[in-house]
Amino acid sequence: MILTRKHVSRRMLLRGMGTAVALPVLDSMFPALSKASEAAAQTSPTRMVFCYVPNGIDMRNWTPSAEGRAFALPKILSPLAPVQDDVLVLSGLMDHGGMALGDGPGDHARASASFLTGVHPKKTAGSDISVGVSVDQLAAQKIGRATRLASLELGCEDGHLAGNCDSGYACAYVNSISWRTATAPNPPEVNPRAVFERLFGNDENAGDPAARARNARYQQSILDLVADDTRRLQGGLGQTDKRKLDEYFTAVREVERQIEMMERQIATNSMAAPSIEKPAGIPIEFAEHARLMFELLTIALQTDTTRISTFMLAREGSNRSYREIGVPEGHHGLSHHRNDPALMDKVAAINHHHMTQFADFLVRLKKTKEGAGSLLDNTIVLYGSGISDGNRHNHDDLPVLVAGGSRAFKTGRHVRYSRSEPVANLYLSVLDAAGVPTERFGDSQNRLEYLSDLT
Amino acid sequence: MCRWSFVVTFLTAKRTLFLGLAAGTLAFGQSKPDFQTVVAPFVAQSCAPCHNEKLKTAGLALTVYHDEAAMLHDRETWEKVVRRVRAGEMPPKGMPRPKPETIAAVTNWIEERFETADRNTPADPGHLTAHRLNRTEYNNTVRDLLAIHFQPAADFPADDSGYGFDNIGDVLSVSPVLMEKYLNAATKIANRAIPSDALPKPTRERYSPEHEVNDDGMALENVFDFPAPGDYQLRAAVSGEKDPFRLHLLLDGKEIKTSDVLIEEDTPRSYEITTHVPYGEHRLSARMEPREPSAVELATRERMKVKEEAAYRRAIAKHPEDTKEIAKQRALSHPPTFIDVLEVRGPYNPGPPPLPESYRRIFICGHARGQHTDQCVRTNLAHLARLAYRRPVTDADIDPLCKLVASAHRDGLPVEQAMRIGLEAMLVSPNFLYRIERDPEPNDAGAIHPVNDFELASRLSYFLWSSMPDEQLLTIAGEGRLHKSEVLNQQVKRMLADAKSDALIDNFAGQWLELRNLDSIRPDPEEFPAFNAQIRQAMYTESKMFVASIVHDDRSIIDFLNGKYTFLNERLAKFYGIPGVTGDEFRRVELNGTERSGVLTQGSVLTVTSYPTRTSPVLRGKWILENVLNEPPPPPPPGVGSIDAKAGPLAGTMRQQMEKHRADPACASCHKRMDPLGFALENYNAVGRWRTQDAGQPVDASGTLPDGRNFSGSEQLKTILAADKDKFADCLTEKLMIYALGRGLEGYDRRAVKQITGQLAANGYRFSTLISGIVNSVPFQMGRGDEGQQVTKLVGVGGK
Repeated sequence: MILTRKHVSRRMLLRGMGTAVALPVLDSMFPALSKASEAAAQTSPTRMVFCYVPNGIDMRNWTPSAEGRAFALPKILSPLAPVQDDVLVLSGLMDHGGMALGDGPGDHARASASFLTGVHPKKTAGSDISVGVSVDQLAAQKIGRATRLASLELGCEDGHLAGNCDSGYACAYVNSISWRTATAPNPPEVNPRAVFERLFGNDENAGDPAARARNARYQQSILDLVADDTRRLQGGLGQTDKRKLDEYFTAVREVERQIEMMERQIATNSMAAPSIEKPAGIPIEFAEHARLMFELLTIALQTDTTRISTFMLAREGSNRSYREIGVPEGHHGLSHHRNDPALMDKVAAINHHHMTQFADFLVRLKKTKEGAGSLLDNTIVLYGSGISDGNRHNHDDLPVLVAGGSRAFKTGRHVRYSRSEPVANLYLSVLDAAGVPTERFGDSQNRLEYLSDLT
Repeated sequence: MCRWSFVVTFLTAKRTLFLGLAAGTLAFGQSKPDFQTVVAPFVAQSCAPCHNEKLKTAGLALTVYHDEAAMLHDRETWEKVVRRVRAGEMPPKGMPRPKPETIAAVTNWIEERFETADRNTPADPGHLTAHRLNRTEYNNTVRDLLAIHFQPAADFPADDSGYGFDNIGDVLSVSPVLMEKYLNAATKIANRAIPSDALPKPTRERYSPEHEVNDDGMALENVFDFPAPGDYQLRAAVSGEKDPFRLHLLLDGKEIKTSDVLIEEDTPRSYEITTHVPYGEHRLSARMEPREPSAVELATRERMKVKEEAAYRRAIAKHPEDTKEIAKQRALSHPPTFIDVLEVRGPYNPGPPPLPESYRRIFICGHARGQHTDQCVRTNLAHLARLAYRRPVTDADIDPLCKLVASAHRDGLPVEQAMRIGLEAMLVSPNFLYRIERDPEPNDAGAIHPVNDFELASRLSYFLWSSMPDEQLLTIAGEGRLHKSEVLNQQVKRMLADAKSDALIDNFAGQWLELRNLDSIRPDPEEFPAFNAQIRQAMYTESKMFVASIVHDDRSIIDFLNGKYTFLNERLAKFYGIPGVTGDEFRRVELNGTERSGVLTQGSVLTVTSYPTRTSPVLRGKWILENVLNEPPPPPPPGVGSIDAKAGPLAGTMRQQMEKHRADPACASCHKRMDPLGFALENYNAVGRWRTQDAGQPVDASGTLPDGRNFSGSEQLKTILAADKDKFADCLTEKLMIYALGRGLEGYDRRAVKQITGQLAANGYRFSTLISGIVNSVPFQMGRGDEGQQVTKLVGVGGK
């Protein structure tokens, strides 16, 4: 049963690939991902990271007053100073799907649900949640197979709350920005220790490749068995139940693939070795928590364990308090600042605090050498929110910036667009840059202009 | 089954005609009473000005209902209409009032139609979707299957909730990440359940919980697992301001080391002892008390002060513009001394640990360790799979497991270790991870049938225990006796008496009353210095024990609203200002003569309905509407936004601010229902302490309900709420039914709910009546095929 030829090939059939399709050859830490990139084997792969902050931004202190190259960083963006040349501030983009469109309140839930999907979510607090595949997952479906983890979803706030989350919207909408399918959110991992274990394994055999390889084989056999169980179970079930088990089956197949990748990494001795100590758990302070997550993310990108990630610095509608920077009030409560300058300053302080952690991440990526340049050159990092002003809940003139990706974008600029330009247009351009050209995504109209123009 | 399905199909097709005929036989005035003659004119005259398709006031459009069938389909809506109109809340003040006899005629006719419909159609039990175990259920099931006490699901992604609960089958999904975690958890569980012969290697376990600002930090304790008898290094570390203390290290309450926490400049404040500890769980604690500093320490402290002051001066001199910020940072970087960490390292020189209970549960073949035969594999797997899958198992279930174990054995693993692989496969199997019910006709929504006894056993055990059925339940199910009502009721009684029924209180009450959110509420320590982690924990314990007393003493559910007793320890009693309670132990306390009763004035509920810096009458009013009255307020209409978001500076008491907002007519219609309820609780601050002043002015806790009734303060409000017992009973029944079934309720479930509330009224609202009512109801005992996705709501009600 274990790793006989028969079972290996059956597993491949099960994955719908047949034996003729070759798996990516993992003879280095940076596997070739397709024929096209094999040709350009010299080039490091492009990675994508999408960071999200909730409750909008104090836009007074976000939007640079000047456009083009020579712009002064406003207060919230000031932590970006060391990497300003790698940053593109994009003003005037809009998240149309976040608007009410007849659905009444619930701007927070709509903002997070639509931000990376470009789709207006279905208003429901029940079982029939529906929005759209998010841009990270679209890319993961195309290029995720090249790495052990197709994508990595991170966050700093657990979504475990009782009750409805926002005016009749299910909690899934505010807890996740990443959606595998229109109805299946990818909840973020908030515990750094768990992220560490996903990257480096949690078994005691970490230092023993033979034992690890054997475990991987057993796990494959176990997955074979449960896949059979599932097929047997599905006979005689109604449609909804069948669908539930399909979801399970898909997950089994994805994990099989991950283990195959790991087996190859073990075989070629290219498994990433932990370069930091295993974290004990979730740090108390936000800054330390975010720093640790960004560090793990950097390692995941550097070792090519994944190329695609989303990171929610907090849940949408988060009411976290940031006492450590002198803001004890809840973030969400403050964001309804009624244009009171004192409250707006506190919102700006939180925005600045988030940005500080993010800027540190960019610096870390920039310091990480890769090929002739840095990891930042090969990573497109987006940062933004689906709400502009937390008080008005407007979804136009969004705070959005892109960093890195200097192969595709001319960074170090502030570009202003017309207020109705969908943020999904930006995603088309990002997908191009990542080698996943796509003609339409969400409510996109065309590729975003001026990203590579020098002005 | 076929007969039922025929009847239902027939009725669905002929419903309008059939009911139309029935209606025609009733006398109503002179005309033939039907929807067109009774309801439509009333709606047109009294409701349509606001509740039309265009305005959809409060999210409701009544003009979309054109016949009785449509009305019957949206039963909940129409029951609400009847309630509001009868209570005189609708049409609202200022609109022409219909004659009392018209109101009576319309509401009676609508109710009579629902009753007739109930009499003439078989009850629809609904279909339960394949239900993935949620995190709690997974943990508890593993615990009960293998007697393993740890929380393997702690790292799983949070379960999404629907309808206010996290056990809704339709919502619970499986992602690749979760699958990865299932696989890893299975390995961890199997390694624990079947320990290897190798003696455990030394590891380091740290316990360093979140340090809360108002926690005095003078004590820390944790239960550690000692995997083998052996020598362990037990350690506590101290952080914060350098002050003189004496620290005691205790194991299972017995002092094992005393150390002075000295004022020293650079020495780490870590205190440890290496000692022999027997196998199993032991409680390690550390305690500190202040002591007099020595002359040397005083001198050291003085030196450190000077150094620190100099560094501070230097910093300001360098960045004078940041003086304020630097001062703030300085204040923050000197928290009072606290015990930061407990740590256990070991075992060193370990002895062999005893075989765990799990080992005995798996290897039932009875052979000694290392002596298991090949036949054992099948016997053991079959035994375990029946429990894990919660049903009789077949060769088709067991053969692949046996093959897997055999091949691992051939691969070189000893039988015992190979069994691990079989156990892992079982724990990742959909048979374990899902509760799946079999319908004879899976795609026929009309094919109604009783669920089989094993399915019933699982429904019961996951409802009352959030865990798998035990051997007794499975045995009775195997004998085909569980569905007999006397057997069933006896089992319910037994299960509620079992400690595992704690899960019902934690999971149901924790979500219904939103107690779970208590953990994520962070009251501002400057505003509420008396609130800390211990108070938070005590509040949770209070509410939990209160709910438990209603369950276990079979009290009236009305006690939830106004039970004049609670459970307190000294800390919480002092926090509330209730005298005469001493010591850490919680005990029952009578509340006569206090300003508290029931759950509404418990610290937990008052705190979860507040903002970090202030109370929120809106959140509190909303909480009561949702959780006591089952009338969740409709969201504000588009363009209005949250009441908190209005422009203009705030001044005056919370109440004055709110009343200003309510002057806006767009907000008034809903907030006049919501806010008065919250105002009644204004005497309790954002952490639930009694107050008579807010912003320097006396608190005004009076209000007027939409129907004109006046009250002042929480006690009078509770009297009003408790007067309509059936309304609260209806609310609680619906909530518990959602939880029990793990699905949202549909129009067809109203019948069962009404039946149960009727039983409650007849039995003094005893909690046991509620449980037995649900367990004996059609939706709990019956199942049917799936209607798939073809069925859509007949009519749209606003807001969608």
